[in-house]
Amino acid sequence: MRAPGPADLGECALITAATNHLLAASGEDGGFPIPSMGEFFPAPIFFEGTIFEFNRMTLVRLVATIVLVALFWVVTNRARLVPGRAQNIAEMGLDFVRVNIAEEILGKQHARPFIPLLTTMFFAIFALNITGVIPFLNIASTSVVAVPMLLAVASFVAFIYAGIKAHGAVGYLRTTLFPSGVPWPIYIILAPIELLSTFVLRPATLTIRLMANMLAGHLLLVLFFGMTHWLFLEADGALKGVGVITLGAAIAFTVFEIFISALQAYIFTLLTAVYINLSQEAH
Amino acid sequence: MDSTTLAQVTGNVATIGYGLATLGPGIGIGILVAKTQEATARQPEVAGQLRINMFIGMALVEALGLIGLVAGLVF
Amino acid sequence: MLHSVTIAAGEGEVPTGIWLFIPPDYDILWSAVALVAIALLFWKKVLPTFTKILDERTELIQGGIAKAESAQAEAQEALAEYTRQLAEARAEAGRIREAARAEGSVIVAELRTKASEDAARILENAQRQIEAERQQAAQSLKAEVGALATDLASRIVGESLADSARQSRVIDRFLDELEASTADQR
Repeated sequence: MRAPGPADLGECALITAATNHLLAASGEDGGFPIPSMGEFFPAPIFFEGTIFEFNRMTLVRLVATIVLVALFWVVTNRARLVPGRAQNIAEMGLDFVRVNIAEEILGKQHARPFIPLLTTMFFAIFALNITGVIPFLNIASTSVVAVPMLLAVASFVAFIYAGIKAHGAVGYLRTTLFPSGVPWPIYIILAPIELLSTFVLRPATLTIRLMANMLAGHLLLVLFFGMTHWLFLEADGALKGVGVITLGAAIAFTVFEIFISALQAYIFTLLTAVYINLSQEAH
Repeated sequence: MDSTTLAQVTGNVATIGYGLATLGPGIGIGILVAKTQEATARQPEVAGQLRINMFIGMALVEALGLIGLVAGLVF
Repeated sequence: MLHSVTIAAGEGEVPTGIWLFIPPDYDILWSAVALVAIALLFWKKVLPTFTKILDERTELIQGGIAKAESAQAEAQEALAEYTRQLAEARAEAGRIREAARAEGSVIVAELRTKASEDAARILENAQRQIEAERQQAAQSLKAEVGALATDLASRIVGESLADSARQSRVIDRFLDELEASTADQR
């Protein structure tokens, strides 16, 4: 019925617009609120119809980007040899990507050229995911397919580049499609499966995993908050008590959603590193 | 010859399809993580390598569940 | 704006089917903008700075340790060198002392031998000279004694016919003359 949180708290025209839209989209009027896919396709705000079309989702995405860039800009400008607290936290985050993801999987030498890519992926996904639980923003930009698709394309290009650099173009195809240690008749069925799995399924599953997780999380949050609101305000007597349960569930699920945001960022980055590693080593 | 409808299911069959699709990957990922736990408990020093293999396997298994979700939404 | 939103459901064009998974172009554009901004931030600014700081820190720690170790090694070396030089100096002092002592005794011995040589030489010279003078005196005495003896003999023969008193008087007179001549000679 409503986007969780903001309609209760603020009078932002954009968010009220989305709320109205959601009402119209679901067609409910005083009935039990059901979130629908319309959540993820808000009305355009500026430049409608052109390539620069701008809607609430894009706005949230840009806000998240600006906040992330600003935070890191400030911390980096004040970076000293002996770190202060903010710098310590930033360094913890950067070291997490560098040591636990890149160097653990790729090894110290091979990791170096890919660390910027992996760092960007991790922090971008985390920042764009976490807006799903932040009040006034309340939608994760990674829940529509554009951002995950772009990131998956970046990952795809990265691991193919790594493979071609390590083996040469023909050599890479050979080691991928015809892994060693297998008797040759099996190649007839193995090669198409490997082809599909490596060049189609990898980017596709990266995209869909991220998108589906964020989509499902957002729908559940909307469901719980909406139900709580409806139960508290518009239900009859005894059902109000159920509102408490749904509120509890909503809070628990918010915490879970924060964890999932971080976990999805970690998994995306980790799988990219793993794919790069698999392309680089000879099977 | 009229055929009478005895029972009817309305709504989106895709949701039933996706529900079925989650069975296999659910069990698969459960087994995967359980085996990783067991192996880590036996030999903690290789925990890093085991975790990486777990994630690779999880990526492949989860792919099937995700294809189920996508198929439900697409068709 | 609000009106246009509340008009109809699906104002934001909810896609169905496969279109759910194909992003609209505006979405791609803005996503690309956001991701490129984040990528540039990390690539150009954050990672180089933090890598530099981490390297500096590592080098500081490593360098500090290495510097301390090398300073300690240098100190040890200097101490060893100093001790060695001291020992050497002492040994050389002893050597010089020894050499001086030896030289001193040598010089003394030399001088002694030279002195004794000189003394011997002088002695020899003196003896030679005495010998020569003695011979010379003996020679001259021999000549003179011959002359004197002849002279005495003639006088005696000259006087022998006279008496013996005269003899003794002649001899006394002769001896007095001899004494007087030798006293003159002397």
